[in-house]
Amino acid sequence: MRCDEIHELIGLFVDGGLPEETMHRLERHLLRCPACSYEVRTMEQTRALVQKAIPVSQLSPAYREKAAARLLDRLAPHLRREPEPASARQWLLPLE
Amino acid sequence: MTHAAYQSHTESAFEARLIRRFQEGDPDAVTVLFDLHAERVFAYALHITGSREDAEEIVLEAFAKAFEKAAGFRGDSPFRGWLFGITRNLCLDRLRQPRLPALEMEGLDWQLSDNGTMAAQIETQTVVRQAVALLPDDQRLVVLLCDVEQWDAREAAEMLDKSLMATKSLLYRARRTLRTHLAALWNDSEEEGETDHAL
Repeated sequence: MRCDEIHELIGLFVDGGLPEETMHRLERHLLRCPACSYEVRTMEQTRALVQKAIPVSQLSPAYREKAAARLLDRLAPHLRREPEPASARQWLLPLE
Repeated sequence: MTHAAYQSHTESAFEARLIRRFQEGDPDAVTVLFDLHAERVFAYALHITGSREDAEEIVLEAFAKAFEKAAGFRGDSPFRGWLFGITRNLCLDRLRQPRLPALEMEGLDWQLSDNGTMAAQIETQTVVRQAVALLPDDQRLVVLLCDVEQWDAREAAEMLDKSLMATKSLLYRARRTLRTHLAALWNDSEEEGETDHAL
């Protein structure tokens, strides 16, 4: 494999998206080529730095609950009404 | 069929069943679809707008509009495609509105042990954030979605409305640009440090 071919594949190599055979060929090249090896190493470091510096976004459970409720309210015209809970009265047995 | 294609097909079939249940009036289908996609819609909106409040409003509006569109649609609706498309448009609309500048330091990780380590880590976080901010919009977004949010390229491609190959190529270019920005910013900060010591 030539260096220019390797450079086209480095993104896939770093993200683990290469077929096994191509990955082995690329790894063999990296052992012999300091320039391509540097390219891979700095790509991985760049990705790791970004992951460490910027937190993953996350919706709060409170927001999720509130938003789901508001969504159901807004979509109410398109939704079936939940059956009303059965009144306790109908389960009372007649007194003998 | 590859694993990714199989997974995508299975997800689409599951989603199609949920949409049919929603069209029949089942409220549970709404909450399941909301739970499936809310985090992704939120992450995208947050990284575009830079505001948690705006992103939360966009999540609700995007889901409501996508469901309303699906309610009147006959046949299998491409719900996720609609949802992501509506999200993109809502984010662009939001960016056109006048806004207050975002707080750059928001979200930094302060859980550190001693002052020296803390200072070094805050400096690293600040430099990385500056470098990310310098990227062109499309490169910044793909880095945030793939490297921060850990989406795979297929998910990012769908949200960005690009092909898989175009997304992977964009991500590679973005990381290279980012590496150049980081090197330049670190050189600047080292030179400033040396000047401070010399004074």
